[in-house]
Amino acid sequence: MATAQRSREPHRPKNILAQELQNNPYLSMFNHFRDELDEHHDRRERVIKASRDITALSKKMIFTVQRAREPFSPLPTSLSKEYETRFKQIQNIISIISPDLQEISAYRYARQISGGIQEYIEAIAFHHYLTTGKLIPLSAVQQSVKSLIEITPGDYILGIFDLVGEMMRFSITMIATRGGAGKDEKVAKALRDLRELRLEFEGLDTALGGGSGLLGKEVQKKLGVMKACVEKVEAAVCGVIVRGSERPKGWIPDLTEAVRGGGSGRIDRIYEDE
Amino acid sequence: MSSGNIYAMVDPEIFAAVQEQIEIDSQVKEDIREALKIIDKEVRLVTSILSRVHIVSPEHVIELTTTADEGFKRLRDGIQGLIDIVKDYPYYKYNGIWSRDIQNVAFLVLFQGWLQRSYAPGNAENSLMTIEEVGGVLGIPVNLKTEDRFHLTIEEYLHAVLGLVEELTRLTTNAVTQHDFLRPRMINRFIKDIHSSFQVLNLKNDSLRRRGDGLKYNVKKVEEVNYDLILRNLIPTGADEEGTEKKGDVKEDAKGPSEQQE
Repeated sequence: MATAQRSREPHRPKNILAQELQNNPYLSMFNHFRDELDEHHDRRERVIKASRDITALSKKMIFTVQRAREPFSPLPTSLSKEYETRFKQIQNIISIISPDLQEISAYRYARQISGGIQEYIEAIAFHHYLTTGKLIPLSAVQQSVKSLIEITPGDYILGIFDLVGEMMRFSITMIATRGGAGKDEKVAKALRDLRELRLEFEGLDTALGGGSGLLGKEVQKKLGVMKACVEKVEAAVCGVIVRGSERPKGWIPDLTEAVRGGGSGRIDRIYEDE
Repeated sequence: MSSGNIYAMVDPEIFAAVQEQIEIDSQVKEDIREALKIIDKEVRLVTSILSRVHIVSPEHVIELTTTADEGFKRLRDGIQGLIDIVKDYPYYKYNGIWSRDIQNVAFLVLFQGWLQRSYAPGNAENSLMTIEEVGGVLGIPVNLKTEDRFHLTIEEYLHAVLGLVEELTRLTTNAVTQHDFLRPRMINRFIKDIHSSFQVLNLKNDSLRRRGDGLKYNVKKVEEVNYDLILRNLIPTGADEEGTEKKGDVKEDAKGPSEQQE
């Protein structure tokens, strides 16, 4: 018997393994577990893929909106069309993935879908801001997905955090391309709005629950980025007021961040003009 | 330049509402942690009772396991207390906070069940309680897929099974110290069954996978003890046979302790 025991150790012959499986009283139970776990993993993968697709489309929506030149008024038709197309595509993805995010699954896969949802909130909030000059309320975001999935306050806040970055890019481009930025009402409004948002964010007590609260550590990171964004615009406006009269045509504030935004094509053209 | 219409951009109510959510959320988490403290205390108590299996002689094990019953009753109450706190919220919203504690509780249920079945006089069937049985002992449903209620998940149960394997690996060594050569053989068979059962699962790169990968070391360790016992003829002949022959042997063996107990 001892030899049988030993020979089994390094290379188990197939027939012994098969026999072992047959006598295994727990196997049918584990087969059931496998099916259940597979179902869970497959669903998880689907949610992750949907989240990535929503992220990609939302980024395109943001680029589209960044190309607008006149803030706080409806988008030009061509941009509006582009935006609507992407928007419909996202709606489509959401309606397809929505069955995987119902009832008990809504929170089970919340972490997987959250990234896409945040990006989506950023996109429609940016669109809402540039067309109306207001911050989109959570209820409107929820309405936009027709209650197919639940938008949590956490996702909303994190999405709005990222909105600040887009507002910064747009403001910098606006300062660079519009004449007389120092007296421009729209530039003034953009700056005021950024500061107001910053105040609200700073007022939020997100540290409750010891850093692992509703929004987790992400907020601390985003708070720093957000403050930097606001300060960039403040510096740019200040720069225009101080040196505005001297600036050559097509002068761009020295803020490379702005170039990374949607306006890069434009900025190239401005350089060509010189 | 043309636009003079400047609205206040931010509706303060949005942030106030979110702030309220954050506060509720942190309160719930605090309550959960309080409830877990009670459960954790009982877990330690029951663990210390059941861990005595490593030092008491085999004939006293059944008796030992029943002394944990009071503790299990309090654990059930503790879990009920936790459920009362979280029942109004989505299950997966907070389950990460207590998942580990529930795994520990499930492990204790499995451990007690295994000891009771494996040390029972005349019964040498290695026995793993099913997930339903564990849920039954704790008074909670298991593996809910649509209904959003508190339950024991498959992952938690499987973690508990791995915990049991780790504990039994230790027991193998200590059983030998007690001159109990029956248990190492039962555990060997049991762990091999669990090991091959785990291999049918398609585990992703998660905590279960990492912990499950350790199974082979448990198999190896228990096999080595058994090999040494067989080599020195400390296990009666035919002991490593599969099937009925083995059961027959085991019954004979088990009579020893059972007679002493009566």
